[in-house]
Amino acid sequence: MKDFLRDNGLLILIAAVLLTLIVAVASAITGGTADPLTDLAGIITTPIRNGVNAVTNWSQERYDAAFRQDQLQADYEDLKLKYADLEKQLREAERDSEENERLRALLGLAQKRRDLELESATVTAHGSSNWDSTLTISKGSAAGIEAGDCVVDQYGNLVGIIDEVGVNWSEIMTVVDSDLEMGGLIARTDDAAILEGQFDLMGQGKLKLSYLPENSELMAGDQILTSGLSGVYPSGLVVGHVEEVLTEASGMTRYAVVVPETALADLKQVFVIKSFDIVE
Amino acid sequence: MTRHDFLVKWGVYALILLPVWILESYILPRIGALPVRPVLLPLAVIVLAVLEGAVGGAGYGLGVGLFSACVLSAGEHWLVLGLTLAGLGAGLLAQYVLRRDFLGCLVCAALVLAGLDGARILFRLFAGRAGLEAMLRLSGLEILWSLPFLIPVYALFLWAFQRVPKGTHF
Repeated sequence: MKDFLRDNGLLILIAAVLLTLIVAVASAITGGTADPLTDLAGIITTPIRNGVNAVTNWSQERYDAAFRQDQLQADYEDLKLKYADLEKQLREAERDSEENERLRALLGLAQKRRDLELESATVTAHGSSNWDSTLTISKGSAAGIEAGDCVVDQYGNLVGIIDEVGVNWSEIMTVVDSDLEMGGLIARTDDAAILEGQFDLMGQGKLKLSYLPENSELMAGDQILTSGLSGVYPSGLVVGHVEEVLTEASGMTRYAVVVPETALADLKQVFVIKSFDIVE
Repeated sequence: MTRHDFLVKWGVYALILLPVWILESYILPRIGALPVRPVLLPLAVIVLAVLEGAVGGAGYGLGVGLFSACVLSAGEHWLVLGLTLAGLGAGLLAQYVLRRDFLGCLVCAALVLAGLDGARILFRLFAGRAGLEAMLRLSGLEILWSLPFLIPVYALFLWAFQRVPKGTHF
């Protein structure tokens, strides 16, 4: 210990304490915006992240092409069947839409509107911590992204919420992160509930739907959307589907385990909703 | 040790952190078969602390902690102090209690990983964010799956240690 103190060890400890305080205080002051030190680290490492990410993506694609041909073929056949089914549903939907438009005109009802301003971004890193669930993307405040913006995948499924923004990078808190909490809506019954990440479900890539209405008849497979009731997040974004309905340890209330619709582990590109205007 | 030697030595140690970071952040998270993501950067600090001693370990821990807090785990600012103390503790243990070899490293790694996860568990318990049982289970799995990676990390740092100028004075 004497050697440690003699060889500037104490100075290192003091520097560590001071740096911890500086980073923590700077982060607390700046809120959702990255503190200058973290932002600088993000700016410097973003090109490295992009490069490494491109190489790992390329390697994974080569691996999939070489060793997962059978599975890809099976997936393709399955998708062909689903596509045919969806085409049939689309024809029916088009007929319904025309009828809907005629009836709206007849009753003089306003058209529902849904304008989302999207910003495309590449996923540069999947969080390596087991204690939270995050993704890093290639765009930040320079592209108009702000903390609290919703992020969706190419199919419009909710990926998460922007948690921290740097100049050319942002960190997303995914839908399964244990800190996430937002309003949910059961699509089939129109019942509102609360979507929240839970620590033990996060590892399984799932989240919880709690505060279910007493008379709610929730079923496995029910689709869960964002409710948008607070006005902070847009409504109608697909979050996931109900896997099972369970009773809380107290035995008084029920909750549902929700499986996100988006494939968090395979995400390469996402879209940040910078602003939205929805008329229901 | 001259200033040039000093810069070469710590420059090499900084450079060999790069493959460890890439493995931890970009390769291991894509392996779906792993139940948890192994943590490698604290292992790098521990190995260096065992090889170089408490001062070198604490200094390296400070650098890696700052890197972890700013680049990897936004929000875990305490890692700057946590990894500095990890480097200091592992260095002192190896200097005065254990041997400066792989086995000493393994014991220090288990203790440090348990200490870091213990701090995470305490933070979350105080914040009421998660159940103790789930966190202990995750911590156990994390330590279990991280320790086997001590072999390549130790081999990498030992290789560098045998080639850089000796001396731990800052």
